[in-house]
Amino acid sequence: MLKKIYTQNFGLVGFYLVIVIIFSVLSPVFRTPGNINNLLTGFSHIGILAIGQTFPILLGGIDLSVGAILGLVGMATFDLMLIFGLPGYVAIPIGLLVGLLAGLINGFLIVRLKLNPFIASLATMASFRGLTYAISGRQLFPNLTVLAIQDPTYLAIDGTFGFIPRALVYLLILAAATYFLLHNTKLGMDLYAVGGNENAARLAGVNVNRAKFVAYLISGLCAAIAALILTSRMTTSPEGLGIGFELSAIAAAVIGGVNLQGGSGSTSGPVLGAFLIGTIYTGMNLLGVTQYAQPVVAGAILIGAVGYDQFVKARRKKDLQEQLLLQSLHQMKKGG
Amino acid sequence: MDEKMKRELAGFNRREFLKMSTVGLGTMTLVACAPTVAATAEGGTQTQSSKQAKDSYKMSFIQVQPHTVSTAWGQGIQDVTDVQQDINYKQLDGQADPATQITLMDTAISEGVDAIFLQPADSVALKPSIKKAREAGIPVITLNIDAPEAHAAHVEMNHYFGAMKIAEKMGEMMGGKGNVVILNAPPGIIIRDMRTNGFVEGMKAKYPNIQIIADQSADWDRKKAQDVLSTILASGKEVNGVYGVNDSMALGAMDVAKAKNLLGKMVIFGNDGEKAALESIEAGEMSGTQYTDVWQQGRLAAALAIGLATGGVSAKSFTHQGHILMPYVIATKENVASIQDFQRW
Repeated sequence: MLKKIYTQNFGLVGFYLVIVIIFSVLSPVFRTPGNINNLLTGFSHIGILAIGQTFPILLGGIDLSVGAILGLVGMATFDLMLIFGLPGYVAIPIGLLVGLLAGLINGFLIVRLKLNPFIASLATMASFRGLTYAISGRQLFPNLTVLAIQDPTYLAIDGTFGFIPRALVYLLILAAATYFLLHNTKLGMDLYAVGGNENAARLAGVNVNRAKFVAYLISGLCAAIAALILTSRMTTSPEGLGIGFELSAIAAAVIGGVNLQGGSGSTSGPVLGAFLIGTIYTGMNLLGVTQYAQPVVAGAILIGAVGYDQFVKARRKKDLQEQLLLQSLHQMKKGG
Repeated sequence: MDEKMKRELAGFNRREFLKMSTVGLGTMTLVACAPTVAATAEGGTQTQSSKQAKDSYKMSFIQVQPHTVSTAWGQGIQDVTDVQQDINYKQLDGQADPATQITLMDTAISEGVDAIFLQPADSVALKPSIKKAREAGIPVITLNIDAPEAHAAHVEMNHYFGAMKIAEKMGEMMGGKGNVVILNAPPGIIIRDMRTNGFVEGMKAKYPNIQIIADQSADWDRKKAQDVLSTILASGKEVNGVYGVNDSMALGAMDVAKAKNLLGKMVIFGNDGEKAALESIEAGEMSGTQYTDVWQQGRLAAALAIGLATGGVSAKSFTHQGHILMPYVIATKENVASIQDFQRW
């Protein structure tokens, strides 16, 4: 049985390698280090969003507002630096705080007001986006349309450590930290418990509300980190930044094996899922696949990846059930 | 759960963590090797200020998202590049996202293309990418939406002066007095400011008695424009003229005017010169628009790119940014028939 669990997760890595090999063979540019570097830089922020998204999904919920939180945090730091003239090392922690606050609002709606997570985060998605437009520095002061962020601390967020993209480093640190959180702390156990069966968890004494709040806080924080990276890269914050990112994050998480019903998955898969999406798009660009066909191809590959994952899960479940049945028959025999 | 299973699961957790770290470490090692391999792989041609002649050239057009205008530009570009026989042209979808466009720029640069056509989704956000391209010697030609980072050329529909001419024509049709509503683009785009400033300054200069009573964003969108104008009309103000900063919004205004039987009393101007707008002008509904032949715009951009690429001119040899304004026609009922069918997009 254990071998089968290992195979399931390994399936995603294997699938990813197959895709990489195919593109590397078909496109000489794909396998250049420059391209790999671009891939890692260009999709790390999706990976970070996917890691954040893992937590609400593990609870059987979802956070549709991450794209809007990203836009809001970006606009907040932009305004703080370019309208209020605050230095980067002040704007950065405030930006992270805004992300946490947004997550707190989501948590409040879902935990205290007991709203359905889909509905609640849909509502906050719209509200945060509207707020982003309302506080947009570029709308309030049109001359900011052509002004770039110049604070050196802030601009240092994106870039490279030597030859390694900084965004990738943040992603890996975050992945390791959240992995540790999920598998080696009581909070992690609580999250899995709530996701598996919320009522059973509550009866077992798990603080369900706290677990939920933490999940949405982490989701908001990850969105804030992604916002800092992107706005540092762009030296500005467009009002529409982040629109549609939530779907990529959810897709990456699901491909990474996080079950939408909750209770299973980890943060290692979503990282791979994000780069799988990025690899597919970049590969198709380099092969000259017409832009109209690209979403279709990407969708087909995603269905394949998720479908295989579901197939393996179903097979594992069947094997597990067979084993349990055999065990209980064995017990009955011994008892009788 | 018995002890054996618990230990096995713990072992599995460790194993998965190890697997993940290996993937991470492997990736980082690969990336760390990037410079040494890159130095030998990427040639020196891109760092010189001139380039060698080649057998074939690559060009990419990074648009904001599929749209009538950018599709027409692409067709215009392809009209010219196809004839050259040695140019590989690609059109890429930026998914209306600056972050996606930055990644596409990075890909194009590492691909070593010979020219990049760019319609920036955000002018400032694409600055670092344009700079990267210039430093790699790749000419960047922006279409319609400029960016404040020096690049080879900016080819635009005549935003500022065209809008001024629209104001003059509109003022004339309004008889020199009345109230005007501007249905505008979302904030933060250079093109919006140019098309608005040209209009406002043109109006102020020629027809100071005309008041601009509202300037609201309708997001380039016909439906949104309908909502915005309806709301303004509902507030009881008299509206004698509407300037939609693009044709879609002007058509939205026309929809509202038609529904409320105000077509004869409202002078409605758009900007772009879309087929739907031209037909509306012929039908006597919209009053006019600024028409630019967007295929021609694509062709002119392509001509410049091909000249630079085949001539081996590096982007680094430009001393400052080039600028091409497109010829245009202020199309009204009188002259719209002169725009032939094959010119309409």
